[in-house]
Amino acid sequence: MKIGETATGTLIAVRGANVWKQNKNYRYIRLGPFIFHITEENKKEVYNALQRAYFNSPHEQNQSSPNLLQMPTRIANLLERWLQTMLTKTINNGLILFDGSLTSGTADTPTPLMKEILETARKRRNIVLAFSKMTTLRFNGHLITDILLEHKPPYLLETAGLKTKPPIVLLGDVYVARLTKGNYAFRLDIDKQVAPKQKIGAVEKLLGNDLLSQSYPETLRLAHILCTFTANEVIAMQHFTAQAYKLKIINRPDMHKLLFGPFGKGDANA
Amino acid sequence: MKLYKKEGNIIQILSFPNETVEKGDYLLIEDADAGKALIAQVIDVQFASIPGILEELLRSLPDGGELIQGEDFDPLEIAPHITYIQDASLLICKIRATVENESLSPSSSWLPSRSQSTIKKLPIPTLIKLAKIDGKLPIILGGTKDSSLLTIDATSLDGRLNIITGKKETGKSHLSKLLMLNLIGYKATVVVFDLNGEYISLGMTTDGKRNAYHDKIHVLTPSENFKVALKQLNLHVLLEILIHALHLPGTSAREFRRIWQSLKERDMLNMHELGETIRNWHCNQHVRDALFSRYYALVNSCFFTDNIAEAVFLEECLFKAKEQGGAIIINLRNTSPIDRQIVVEYLLAKFVELLTGCRLKAIFLFAEEAHLYLRETYWDDIVTRMRHFGIFTTFITNQPDTVRENIYRQADNIFLFNFTNEHDLEVVSRAARVDAETVKSIARDLPPHYCLGLGRVVKDFPMVIKVKALDVKTMGETRLFFKDMN
Repeated sequence: MKIGETATGTLIAVRGANVWKQNKNYRYIRLGPFIFHITEENKKEVYNALQRAYFNSPHEQNQSSPNLLQMPTRIANLLERWLQTMLTKTINNGLILFDGSLTSGTADTPTPLMKEILETARKRRNIVLAFSKMTTLRFNGHLITDILLEHKPPYLLETAGLKTKPPIVLLGDVYVARLTKGNYAFRLDIDKQVAPKQKIGAVEKLLGNDLLSQSYPETLRLAHILCTFTANEVIAMQHFTAQAYKLKIINRPDMHKLLFGPFGKGDANA
Repeated sequence: MKLYKKEGNIIQILSFPNETVEKGDYLLIEDADAGKALIAQVIDVQFASIPGILEELLRSLPDGGELIQGEDFDPLEIAPHITYIQDASLLICKIRATVENESLSPSSSWLPSRSQSTIKKLPIPTLIKLAKIDGKLPIILGGTKDSSLLTIDATSLDGRLNIITGKKETGKSHLSKLLMLNLIGYKATVVVFDLNGEYISLGMTTDGKRNAYHDKIHVLTPSENFKVALKQLNLHVLLEILIHALHLPGTSAREFRRIWQSLKERDMLNMHELGETIRNWHCNQHVRDALFSRYYALVNSCFFTDNIAEAVFLEECLFKAKEQGGAIIINLRNTSPIDRQIVVEYLLAKFVELLTGCRLKAIFLFAEEAHLYLRETYWDDIVTRMRHFGIFTTFITNQPDTVRENIYRQADNIFLFNFTNEHDLEVVSRAARVDAETVKSIARDLPPHYCLGLGRVVKDFPMVIKVKALDVKTMGETRLFFKDMN
């Protein structure tokens, strides 16, 4: 996330977390925060350096580097991919839950990298389940997660015939997962290369081993909570950058408020 | 520390974990450009309202109330900064004075710069020097929070009304003894109404030897070594006793006046003759009965004697104390409530008589739990009229609501020990020289033997004082049943 602006660029902080359940207890590893001062001058260098460091093969080296506004998301995605890579390389016979989908082909999710991640997982007899909180996929005009069957949960609703425009590729089969009572359902992507029986078995194992609240796994919920920066952490990071690097954070005037007074929505609400 | 907010004379200061500031500490807020500084006292320490703190706390307890186990890889070491921000505190401070050119003024009408001001702890010795709290007649009360000695000037007790209050076993009597002995040291005349016989051994050290005050402590126990003869009394003193302590009605009082005149003319003022005269006096039977019942009350008190040799001359003790300083301890320990009132009425009337005749300079009167022997109308009398004669009272009580509100309003000095009861603190906070927030906030957290000094003694800079120990036999300890069991 962006934690402040300096005269020459923006300050970005990213953090990632892995949560697992072991002997009925949840444990975590949290990495970060990593703070970057991104300017127009260094953004390309920073991005490429991270790619090289994380993946040893700059999948996107030929692409133009993202603009300053996109940098927080892009750097966060780099960290996320690296964490996913490391997990698939270290876990055996496990269920690996990703936050998001198994859609590839975007700037943040290069298809070769995602394929590599899934392949590594399979080699170590892991199954990757990816839960998306938001989806744009629709059926008959409705979001697929809004289609709630009369069936008693838990259930999976398999989607078929989903088509994507190149270069977007779906590396997983897409389901609507309603795993507990309540009106919540999530898009669930399961690695396409996994046999159908194993897919169902994986979800059954998830139901048996993790807590599920409002159809969402507790491990993912904890990972989210542990990653999220609270306001006082943001202040602490600003304090750190000011102390350690003498970077002065500037507060740019909100032009909406400045020009339109009470009618200006401001950046936060824009 | 950073200046955050000012509302009225309350100033809020943001303090960080490496700055240790406690309730009662003084801070100096210096604005170099203005050439002035504010002196503010911390009256409360709160957590600073940090955005996101609730989320931070909730996040650490997501697993059914148990702390989630894990590892943090924090290469930039941001965690200490987070702790630093989370543990920031907000100091609620009361502005006490402005320092300009090394002189103090009570003004708080200016605003120091929020960005440029420097804030630091003001050491108590510096404050004492600035406020000129110690004077020519020093009394060391004890230590301050920063372990320096707190010395007050004995003149700040002269002509003043003082109150020592706090809950049981916090050290009130100890402080009153300390003040009393120091006053004696400066040749003052001190009278103590000692309800529990706590002051009777002040002339002895803790190991039972005579101390420097031994010859200056005169213990008078009513009906034992303290008796008076009617001849020593003025009529108005006895009438005060009869009317106020024994509730003699007006008609009977008029008859008593005539009896007294008759006895005086015949030079027969003694208890035996008084009884006989009442018996034979031509008056209404009800009046005679009324007079007789009061007469027997006087007789039964054993405070009055016809044997002049038995009658201790209070005046002699007082004059001795006048010369070289001393304390007259009126031991009321085994005296019944009615007899206590008789003794106190006699003494107060006697003091006024001696003081109005300029035969005594002034008396420092220490009154423990005065509500137990002081009649309603005397409260105002003591703090207004008698003060002008030269009776300077110190009330000592653990029930602050027994001292009337107008006494608090007129109190010059208050030594406040710990109170936890809201109602008690409310009562004390009515004193004119005190602000309610300071009293309520600081007094609640005072440990035993610590008091909050308020008023003239500390030049209106409330200070937390650890009252120093005394090498005297204090006798103030409560007798315990299980004391010797262990």
